[in-house]
Amino acid sequence: MSAPLAFAPIGELAGRLRSGELSAADLVQCYADRIATLNATSKAFISLDLDRAIATAKSQVISPEDNPLKAIPYACKDLFDVKGLVTSGGSRVLADNIAAHDADVVTRMNQAGAIFIGKNNLHEFAYGATGENALYGTTPNPYDQTRLAGGSSSGSAAALGYGLCAAALGTDTGGSVRAPAALCGLAGFKPTFGRISTEGVIPYSWSLDHVGTMARSAADTALLFNVLADNVRDSAVIKLDELSIGIPEGFFFARADTEILDSIDRLMNFFRDAGARLKPVAMPSMEHSRTVSLTVQMPEALSYHNRYLDQRGDLYSQDFRAGLALGQCLLAEQYIRAKRFIESYRRDMDEVFDGIDLLLTPATPVIAPKIGAVEVTVDGQSEPAGNAITRYTSFFNMTGHPAITLPCGMHSEGLPIAAQLIGKHYGDEQLIAAATLIESSYDFKLPLPGF
Amino acid sequence: MKRLQQQTLLGIRDQFGSYAWDDAEISELVDPQLGIITSFQELLDELELLRKIDLGSIPPAADISVK
Repeated sequence: MSAPLAFAPIGELAGRLRSGELSAADLVQCYADRIATLNATSKAFISLDLDRAIATAKSQVISPEDNPLKAIPYACKDLFDVKGLVTSGGSRVLADNIAAHDADVVTRMNQAGAIFIGKNNLHEFAYGATGENALYGTTPNPYDQTRLAGGSSSGSAAALGYGLCAAALGTDTGGSVRAPAALCGLAGFKPTFGRISTEGVIPYSWSLDHVGTMARSAADTALLFNVLADNVRDSAVIKLDELSIGIPEGFFFARADTEILDSIDRLMNFFRDAGARLKPVAMPSMEHSRTVSLTVQMPEALSYHNRYLDQRGDLYSQDFRAGLALGQCLLAEQYIRAKRFIESYRRDMDEVFDGIDLLLTPATPVIAPKIGAVEVTVDGQSEPAGNAITRYTSFFNMTGHPAITLPCGMHSEGLPIAAQLIGKHYGDEQLIAAATLIESSYDFKLPLPGF
Repeated sequence: MKRLQQQTLLGIRDQFGSYAWDDAEISELVDPQLGIITSFQELLDELELLRKIDLGSIPPAADISVK
């Protein structure tokens, strides 16, 4: 049976659009109606472009040769420029910042015929993984409105989770696409560093920023990647019984919710039963990785935001200003040293991938935290909620490897559990193909949220 | 390494060509009260540990053009 229209994957929507069973205008109107009803609850969109979207949809003629994204309504985090619209960064600082051009990825989506419908809420300027935003509100999780959707691409996850669009673009500097996607039961993907353009996207940290995608499935992720990246290779035929999957020891399975670990265990058993080889792998030391990441992030963020600080500094939120002030007080050699550690991590990870095709980890060590929770506690140890949300994702922003998160279970508290697969550098196509095969083979179906 | 002093950061602000952070923001980095930045001293302590790790001749990670 087809999923309700608002929760249908792109592949299904494309088929219905082609057959004439569904018109582009009706599809946009379906989401528009839901946005009118649910945006106040979900806080997914900061701004909308629905009149233009409906006009575009009415003008579209769909033929079988068209890209599957034709007439597919999508949204993007409000860091992406869309010509003529405000790019706010989720901040009062840029409330009047009207974009003169489309971001590269918006151009690509539009050229494929996808229909832009609006800008998504976010943690101010992508600084934070909880998605809390004092100006535009905190996006609640579609499976439990007392809990976070996660961030920083919080509105992008909520827009999909509440059935308000078919795909969304976000940015991922430490997990800001993958983690909220994981917490909301979506497929969240970040490519190999540099494979998708960041031009026209407000930067947070140039060394770590990736533009990524959120969708309802890995199969939909492939459709998006085909449009957003250059030189996409035809997906090789992936067979589970030919895959060698690395299981990292230690860090990625420590201090995690036991139900999350149980779900990953079940996934590993599925791989074994399917004939895949699971291989324990020794990872580079993660002991200082968060320090390394932070030491790169904050001076880079400050370097970008210095252009606004003198005139509009008082419009930033208190917590982002605090982070920028920290960036001011680090030494140049500390920044360079951190970037040398990143190079060391990259080299070590390339060696790890010498003997495996993919790496498997949980996506997050915790389910979606409660809104307002400052810390979460696992195994008796507390840590800031934002740090916990991205604990398993941020390392791969430094190494630049492609990674995707996929739902693989439901927690007894009614929230999604997700796995993370990491691929080789420039192995994005193989990674997505493997994820697509897994989601079509693994006996797990995520229930839809109750909207 | 000695513990961070507020005067050190005020000196950076006033003498290094920095944005004019409020005194309270500088104070918060040194002696957190609001819970916004909880660990600048810990960060500096970790950076001191990193300084003692010999990275040989490994260069800084090169960035890839993303345009």
